Amino acid sequence: MIDWKQKLRLPTLGVAAVIVAGWVLLSWRYGAYVLPSPLAVARGFVDIVATGEIWRHTLASLGRILVGFGGAVVVALLAGLASFLSRTARGVIHDFLSVLNSTSVFVWIVISIIWFGLSNWAPIFTTFMITLPVVASNLVEGVENVDRRLLEMGDVYRLSGRQKFTAIVVPSTLPYLVAGTKVGFGLALKVSVVAEIFGVTSGIGYIMNYSREILATQMVFVWALVMILVMTATDTLVFNAISRRLDRWR
Amino acid sequence: MAVTLEVAEVGKDFLIPVIDSVSFGVEAGEFVCLLGPNGCGKTTLLRIVGGLEPPTRGRVLLGGEPVSGSGRHTKKVGVVFQEDRLLPWKTLRENVELVLEPLGVTGAARRATADRQLRLAGLAGFEDYHPARVSGGMRQRAAIARALAIEPDLLLMDEPFGALDAQNRRIMQAEVRRIWRETGRTILFVTHAIDEAVAIGTTLIMLSARPSRIRATIANDGRVERGTLIDDLNAMIMDEVERQQGPASTS
Repeated sequence: MIDWKQKLRLPTLGVAAVIVAGWVLLSWRYGAYVLPSPLAVARGFVDIVATGEIWRHTLASLGRILVGFGGAVVVALLAGLASFLSRTARGVIHDFLSVLNSTSVFVWIVISIIWFGLSNWAPIFTTFMITLPVVASNLVEGVENVDRRLLEMGDVYRLSGRQKFTAIVVPSTLPYLVAGTKVGFGLALKVSVVAEIFGVTSGIGYIMNYSREILATQMVFVWALVMILVMTATDTLVFNAISRRLDRWR
Repeated sequence: MAVTLEVAEVGKDFLIPVIDSVSFGVEAGEFVCLLGPNGCGKTTLLRIVGGLEPPTRGRVLLGGEPVSGSGRHTKKVGVVFQEDRLLPWKTLRENVELVLEPLGVTGAARRATADRQLRLAGLAGFEDYHPARVSGGMRQRAAIARALAIEPDLLLMDEPFGALDAQNRRIMQAEVRRIWRETGRTILFVTHAIDEAVAIGTTLIMLSARPSRIRATIANDGRVERGTLIDDLNAMIMDEVERQQGPASTS
């Protein structure tokens, strides 16, 4: 019984109900252009699912994220490896990551439009540049936090560099990688959508901006909903599953 | 095969001299306890012997081969640290198996050796447990099993039971004594607990306060009564502590 109550999260649902009621009232007051009614949004959602339009734009966005964010993860892994192998490299990587970390999304959007024009590569590049420092800093921090005492144990028993790497460094940095990838993926979704406003003709960002232009405000809400669903789905299906697996030995 | 250990005029400075000059020899199969007041460099000395830290002065020979310096000696040294230093993501069996890998032991032989050592350490049935799932005493047993698995020429133990409660300490002391009797390994055991040293060591080396030298070397062969020996060693330690800190104020 209690389990059910926990699962349903009744207080949250209650607050949500109040918000929806307020939403209905406000949309009556201000009209569908400013605030479309929940019903209109629901109808719009059913519509894009029925026509399959939801997949076209979601997959286009996810495809770009996969390339941009995937590239960032690969480069971050290389940075992590380099920072394990050399203390000098670790310092250099650390400094560059703090510069990247403090660069605005907009800088990369503008630059990528100049460099790549109106193409897929603009949102991909932007996603890459924004998520790289997030994943890489986590990973480098993980490498820095590898327990020296365990590495010393490895030295005592004469493990080779490769054995120490696979038996000690990789397992102790894995939680940092997962945390970084989780935050990075969320960021990738948010950032790539912004970059899609410019220059591409598919993707959630594009279709949201297009809906605004043709005054179909309810569709802006629908696509925002799609974004939230994609986010929660990856969180529960992918990242929570991975975290659970990692925690087996705790 | 157990080998002899020779520590020759070893000294170590960390900004200030910690170890002045220490020389002693350990015969194959001896069980030597290193005693001394807190901060006198017992652990540092053990780390130098284990090749984990270079000495500032002097040298260490293990079976005639120099321990520190560039070239690695061919002798096998097992170390049991103050903490268990088990890999938390590996089971107890995998932890022991790991140190057999560099020795080229693979497959079924490796697993059999790991299981045998765990059984000898009283951990039969816990091979597939992760360290977090067993008690502190059992983790330290696993660390000892790991050290013994490589059939070390020299076994170094650095206050291995410091984190255990009195009861477990007593049990583990008896275990180590039994393992030493059964395997005949050369053991160098650092402790600050005098009763522990007297209970398990065949030779007791008492270091002086920092910068340390050897204050006394005592054969723990039962010729001196245990209680007297403990009293003598306690007096020595108090003496050294006073020398270092100045006499305790008598109020």
